[in-house]
Amino acid sequence: MEISRREFIHRMMTLGFSTAAATALFPLAACSKETAPLPISPNAPPSTTAPSPTPTLTTPAVTDGLAVVRGKSPSAITEAAVKALGGIERFVKPGNTVIIKPNICVAYHTYEYAATTNPEVISTLVRLCRGAGAQKVSVMDQPFGGTAEQAYLRSGIQEAVRAAGGEMVIMSRAGFKETNIPEGKDIKKWMVYNDALEADVLINVPIAKHHSLARLTLSMKNLMGLVLDRPQFHFNLPQRVADLASLLRPELTVIDAVRILTRNGPTGGSLDDVKMMNTVIAGTDFVAMDAYAATLFGLTGADIPVVRAAAGMGLGMMDLSKVKITEISV
Amino acid sequence: MAEALINHKGEKSSAKWRYFRRTVQVLALLIFLYLLLATRQNSTTWLPHDLFFRLDPLTGITAMLASHTWMAPLALGIITLLLTLAVSRAWCGWLCPLGTILDWTPSRRLRKDKIDIPSFWRHGKYLLLAVIVFTAMLGSLTLIFLDPITLLFRAIASFILPGLSALLANTGIPDWLNNLLRGAVINDQPFWGPNVAIALFFAVVLVLNAIRARFWCRYLCPLGGLLGLIGKITWLRHYVDEHKCISCRRCAIACPTAAIDPAQKFAANIAECITCLKCAEVCPTQAISFRNNWKLAPQHHDPSRRRFLVTASLAAIAAAVLKIAPLIGERISSFIRPPGSSESSLQTKCIRCGECARVCPTGVIQPAAPSGAKGKLWTPQLETRLAYCDFSCNSCGQVCPTGAIAPLALEDKRKTVIGIAKIDRTRCIPWNEGTPCGVCEEMCPVPQKAIAFNEGGGQGRGGGRNGVQRPHVLAELCIGCGICETYCPVPGESAIRVLPAPEA
Repeated sequence: MEISRREFIHRMMTLGFSTAAATALFPLAACSKETAPLPISPNAPPSTTAPSPTPTLTTPAVTDGLAVVRGKSPSAITEAAVKALGGIERFVKPGNTVIIKPNICVAYHTYEYAATTNPEVISTLVRLCRGAGAQKVSVMDQPFGGTAEQAYLRSGIQEAVRAAGGEMVIMSRAGFKETNIPEGKDIKKWMVYNDALEADVLINVPIAKHHSLARLTLSMKNLMGLVLDRPQFHFNLPQRVADLASLLRPELTVIDAVRILTRNGPTGGSLDDVKMMNTVIAGTDFVAMDAYAATLFGLTGADIPVVRAAAGMGLGMMDLSKVKITEISV
Repeated sequence: MAEALINHKGEKSSAKWRYFRRTVQVLALLIFLYLLLATRQNSTTWLPHDLFFRLDPLTGITAMLASHTWMAPLALGIITLLLTLAVSRAWCGWLCPLGTILDWTPSRRLRKDKIDIPSFWRHGKYLLLAVIVFTAMLGSLTLIFLDPITLLFRAIASFILPGLSALLANTGIPDWLNNLLRGAVINDQPFWGPNVAIALFFAVVLVLNAIRARFWCRYLCPLGGLLGLIGKITWLRHYVDEHKCISCRRCAIACPTAAIDPAQKFAANIAECITCLKCAEVCPTQAISFRNNWKLAPQHHDPSRRRFLVTASLAAIAAAVLKIAPLIGERISSFIRPPGSSESSLQTKCIRCGECARVCPTGVIQPAAPSGAKGKLWTPQLETRLAYCDFSCNSCGQVCPTGAIAPLALEDKRKTVIGIAKIDRTRCIPWNEGTPCGVCEEMCPVPQKAIAFNEGGGQGRGGGRNGVQRPHVLAELCIGCGICETYCPVPGESAIRVLPAPEA
């Protein structure tokens, strides 16, 4: 692959910045997107574009602990989890624009069916962001089954978000731009929702669900709602999801495991497949978080192809023994 | 009252009537458009969403004739018939949205006419009416696509709006405009190429206006024909005071349907008069008024027995030639039909209005294209590669004015089988290439999943080549919604296709 001079200089500068940030143990989440729009992991050589034949499980330079909070109130556990990470102020500065990306994949069922993210978890985050002085908190997803209008309504998320001072956005086709994925191993560019790249803060709020092809759909898989041509994304799905995660790198991830869908996901539709877990997992290391969420299903991170691919890219820590996990009950 | 409608006070009063009529026309057209745009999934309108189809006596009469069913909402057409008994074809001149659009379409006036159209061409609309009614009696509604209200609604709902939506959604209009238009104009309905035929038909109706003002209304409109027949015994009608008439011909020139015959002392053919009052407006001597003149008008179209027989046999021949009668029509279909409908319900009840296609949130419902549709032209069918039947939607049955698509409760609709998916193993990625794919299974909305990776169902990770899971359709669970076909990532034809379910 040829690299133009400008691109080379840009990459070197980005590398320099990332290394400096890593050395200073500067949390990734604090990297402002204006200065490092396409951060490159310090461990990935900048000019190597071909996937390495034997992906090594690299230790990310920045590891951040997870907060796992259990309790009856989705709102209370969400708030406690964010607090355990250092509070919402760590992520959201006054005047910031925030995009919250729940999983609202279909318009078929109410949230009790665990196909869509718990509305209370979402509205709590909206409230916290607004409290931290966020200028605008937008919530959006791109359902594949049914219209966004109906999905927002039926999931209960629209009502909860509006009450908390956020706004529901319907993603229009024109909002997607072809975007380079510099660290992508399989895909180098894709049509990505531009506002999600430009927002000051992206908060990813998936629900933990069964998914035949990916085994589970957790936080990284949830980012697929921010791209176009999703059927085509399924070729080599695990690597492509990891590639996308390397581009979007949400500042904060909150996995809703209040209810989990254990079978017939991601669409669901039977309460028999829903299991109450009364748990949320919050953090910035989405690889570690997905690995933790897998344990709720009796699996490990290594069982989930997306997690393996992302760990192989150095996007986060799959080995939970090396992650500081703060467990709280409220 | 009769005198009041057009009195003798002169131009000022005529102008008032002109503005009044224009206002009524614009209002009716706006209501028509409002109802069309407001017909959306789970929405409510402040008037019946299908008001114009209810008021249209032609769709009501033919649908009831063809299906031998009493349709109470469509009985509202009686109002239009009564209106016609009172004030002739005022429907055409005041209320018909297509008529209003044709009034605004450029046309030539009599004065400049070069082409002479014999007046017997006006019988065209009666012939069409006869064929439509005759075939309806035989149980086929195919030709109702000629009804003016359906023709306009279909063109807007199936061509203009999806086209506009696709155009706007891809051009990056500002957010506020996008939000404003979202739902009404911009939605998820894709543009479907074969609907160009619908647009062409509409365009022809407009272009014919270039030959004669309201060409469609004069020569072709079957609804106009029906109202014209009734208008012959109308109460309030065009009257010329012979003592005042100076034979200036202005009325004859102004008349948009050329109903006024200078050779007949400027009397109007009442079956052609749309009560637009233009003649009275232009008359310099106020010789024209509309008044109670209840007597049978001169019979311009006199269906004597011989003529009736000729018309009837022509209708029968047309029916046979067009293969539109169920006597000939096939009952087995290659179409996926909306949930709650069947080949027979569509044959006898579907008025081709396009309400179901308009309301469909995904745009899977598309009018059956002319090629291969035979007697089923522009009946609703599902294009499952284009879009899918939304598991959370039952709107088509809710908006269908005639019950051709039965209204189903959402719970029942979710269990209604409209087709069955079949995997083409020569194209399917895991079957053919041995690489992982499971989009069809992921998309399947059935709670127990009608696609499984084990032949017998269940969630096991069935082994195929290289241990890659291979999908199977569980026939007893599949409802034929088509979402698997829509999202199948194989380029071109899907590797999983929905086939029509055998009719019960």
